[in-house]
Amino acid sequence: MRATGVIIVLGILGIALAAGLVINYNLPLNMGDASPVQPIAFSHQLHAGDYEMPCLFCHRYTGVSRSAGIPDVELCKNCHLFVGRDKPEVKKLMGYWERREPIPWVKVHDLPDHAYFPHKMHINAEVACQVCHGDVASMAKIQRVASLKMGWCLNCHRSNNASIDCWTCHL
Amino acid sequence: MAKWGMVIDLDKCTACQACVIACQAENNIPNSDPEAARTGRNIHWMEMLPMVEEEYPHLRMRLMPRPCMHCEKPPCIKVCPVNATQISSEGIVGQINARCIGCRYCTTACPYTVKYFNWFKPKWPEVMEHQLNPDVQVRYIGVVEKCTFCHHRLQKGRDLARYEGRELGPDDYMPACVQTCPADAMYFGDLDNPKSSVAILSKSKRAFHLLEDLGTHPKVTYLSEGV
Repeated sequence: MRATGVIIVLGILGIALAAGLVINYNLPLNMGDASPVQPIAFSHQLHAGDYEMPCLFCHRYTGVSRSAGIPDVELCKNCHLFVGRDKPEVKKLMGYWERREPIPWVKVHDLPDHAYFPHKMHINAEVACQVCHGDVASMAKIQRVASLKMGWCLNCHRSNNASIDCWTCHL
Repeated sequence: MAKWGMVIDLDKCTACQACVIACQAENNIPNSDPEAARTGRNIHWMEMLPMVEEEYPHLRMRLMPRPCMHCEKPPCIKVCPVNATQISSEGIVGQINARCIGCRYCTTACPYTVKYFNWFKPKWPEVMEHQLNPDVQVRYIGVVEKCTFCHHRLQKGRDLARYEGRELGPDDYMPACVQTCPADAMYFGDLDNPKSSVAILSKSKRAFHLLEDLGTHPKVTYLSEGV
């Protein structure tokens, strides 16, 4: 009688452990807010969608550098000195420009430090931005759609015959 | 697929230790600490092995640079319980620090003692904090680290070659120790390419490997004319 009780308890523990592993395996890398509140309610839908501005027009360093980079306030100002000056969000932007302050954007796609991800390599291999960042042109507020986990990276590397050596990404 | 290998010509080597310093600077290795040296806990991916020969009036000191041998059959990867150390398809043996649990099996398994455990939190003098190499991760306390043949330089070289639309050339990838050697005693390249200098030199009569009889098939070859 006692032995059956122990077996049942162990069985329940085992099932709980297996379920925990499965859930943990399927969780995304970053459990934080996938669409955090930004200091300025910038709409990619308006810029990239309605006005069809190419991604690289603002994210200029993507093709030549490891990080894509966020455009500096001056780049925003160059257009918004003339465009939409009476809108409240643009007034916030011009406030940053007049105070000579960088805009404290909240990072949405954040990889861990031990992963080396050069944007340059992926742009030169003609991987579209949308493969990892989702259909940004239809997002009024930017949000993370990919899981950014190692298995997710590897799936794409395998299907494109890219290197899957450890030292391709872990330097 | 390339097989990266190194040749060190001991007849040319002047034991100036520039390779040791270049390695420390390139790979964010903390400075040696006298206290740690007493317990053998300093980290040197590239180290000078001293060999003292004969006795005082005719004393001869030989020094031999010793990077990781990047064995074809590395004993370290067989013992790792978490696959933190692996050999790539290009023959580079490396360490994923984020995956390492610090069990130190590999430091024991390596016959060349090229694996180093981080006993301390790495620290540098304040003025040197800003000269760390951004391409190499700073290791933290409790993980094992090792020579990687500067594989971040392979990534950068490959980035550049692809950007310029050409094949990876012999000058695109070279570890910091080879690049800095003032006596040109170190060679680096593709062992599978029969025309490369390392492939030719590693077949020379002067060539030998460290602890060859262990069957680890090191990819670092030494050249020396007799004893």
